[in-house]
Amino acid sequence: MTFSYLGGLRLNLRFILVFAYNYGLKFIKRGPSYLIASLALPLSLLFLIFIISGGKLLPYAIIGGVLSIVTSNAINGAADAAFFRLQIRFQDLFVASPLTKMDYMAALTASYFVFSLPGIVLYVALGFIFHILNLLKLIVLIIVIILITLSFTNLAFIIAGLLRHIRNVWGITAILSIIATVLTPTFYPYFIIPRDFLLILLISPITPASIFLQGYFGLAPYEPISIPILIIETIALMILGNIFIRWRE
Amino acid sequence: MISVNDLKKRYGNIHALKGVTLDIDDKVTSIIGRNGAGKTTFIRILSTQLKPTSGSVKINDLDINKDVQKIRKIILSIPQEAQPVGIMTPLEHLELYLLARGYSLSDARKEGRYALEELEMRDFENVPCDELSGGMKRKVFVAMALASRVEIVFLDEPTTGLDPLSRMEVWNSIRKLDSNIILTTHYMEEASELSDKVVVFSEGKVVSRGTVDELLEPFKDKVRVEKTDGEEYDVKIGKLSIKYVPKHMAQEYLSRGYDVKNITLDDLFISRGITLES
Repeated sequence: MTFSYLGGLRLNLRFILVFAYNYGLKFIKRGPSYLIASLALPLSLLFLIFIISGGKLLPYAIIGGVLSIVTSNAINGAADAAFFRLQIRFQDLFVASPLTKMDYMAALTASYFVFSLPGIVLYVALGFIFHILNLLKLIVLIIVIILITLSFTNLAFIIAGLLRHIRNVWGITAILSIIATVLTPTFYPYFIIPRDFLLILLISPITPASIFLQGYFGLAPYEPISIPILIIETIALMILGNIFIRWRE
Repeated sequence: MISVNDLKKRYGNIHALKGVTLDIDDKVTSIIGRNGAGKTTFIRILSTQLKPTSGSVKINDLDINKDVQKIRKIILSIPQEAQPVGIMTPLEHLELYLLARGYSLSDARKEGRYALEELEMRDFENVPCDELSGGMKRKVFVAMALASRVEIVFLDEPTTGLDPLSRMEVWNSIRKLDSNIILTTHYMEEASELSDKVVVFSEGKVVSRGTVDELLEPFKDKVRVEKTDGEEYDVKIGKLSIKYVPKHMAQEYLSRGYDVKNITLDDLFISRGITLES
């Protein structure tokens, strides 16, 4: 009955991986409609942007599409986290066990990441087909995807922790998902937005992520400040998520 | 096994527990009480899900505030209204739960299958839980308790909302557990079927405890008579007048239009602690 260790942080890796497999991969197999639903908006926007811009803005739609899939799946995690805590009491079952809240949060995060994988693979393939990606850019993209998954999953834990009942959670996550992925410069160049408005949008981690990637991929002026902003926001959300998860009340 | 001393829990202005002092050392102890009596709060504190406002709890001499992780290794708590995740199968639930307790994957699978076999659920081990009946879903959690072989199992209203047949199925499963069990219920029949001792909670306090026979001692040789707007009563619930009378007077009350009922554990609630005339 040994536990695994990861960089000094005591994590139950077996639990995390099996949870991600059962709740991420098997979910895709047993409930494929959810996967299609999560791909519907970014693929529709990709199609529209391609048609309207005559293909000129396609790189934005592909980078934005990846970020959008990861973000909306992570935000939708709020509904799951709230459902597990308030409705089916699945979280309570693990609270009264040797599992730590870090294990539980990591397991849910990993399952959302796994659930996003088919979409990520599809967009990465498009990125290579349209010569937007190379190996180095892919590595950078994966790092940004991990940061975005961490930040928005923790936002999901915060939302789930603040709720007293679940009746509004699906509405809240749908609104947040649209705000985070459509309003922010995810599918369009960040420099066309008025500066003041862009500063407000920086509150969402997807904005610095998009600014960084658009700059790094040579689509827009490079703004190195976007990297520390993204990292700081991710760390802040992880700290808050850790507080709001309501493990032992 | 469990020693509770002056346990209090307050939610804002609401005093959910008002100084509970109790020792629990029986194989199966039922905590009964009406909705809002403090049963769930009590069990959530004992199972380390909720911090108490004040007071102390010791489980096998481990302190609920200082030794949380040690306590979590020897307990399992099945929350009220717990439901399995619809898309996951019973075996996947068991594997996951046992992995959470530190089992290896092969041991988790082996113990999971053993528990499902014991509860006659092997045929359903790979069926997604949203395709199972209510009783089967609840048995998934009992299987967790069976497979994990913990010392103490807390069951918060394990059969609420189940039909009588499913309830009996769950009771039979619970009887197979070797662990010490503390369960809350507001089904008197459940407490009577499963428990060695019964603790009665009312408004955040323990109002009585003992075996079923001991608790029903004040009602010995009595029957409950009841009538809508009856002129005599010990307790009035809405328009229903309820009175406890010696058995030999039952016929007299029947002739006056009262219904006559045998005493059950329900009468502990109904009587609300009134002192019965001998």
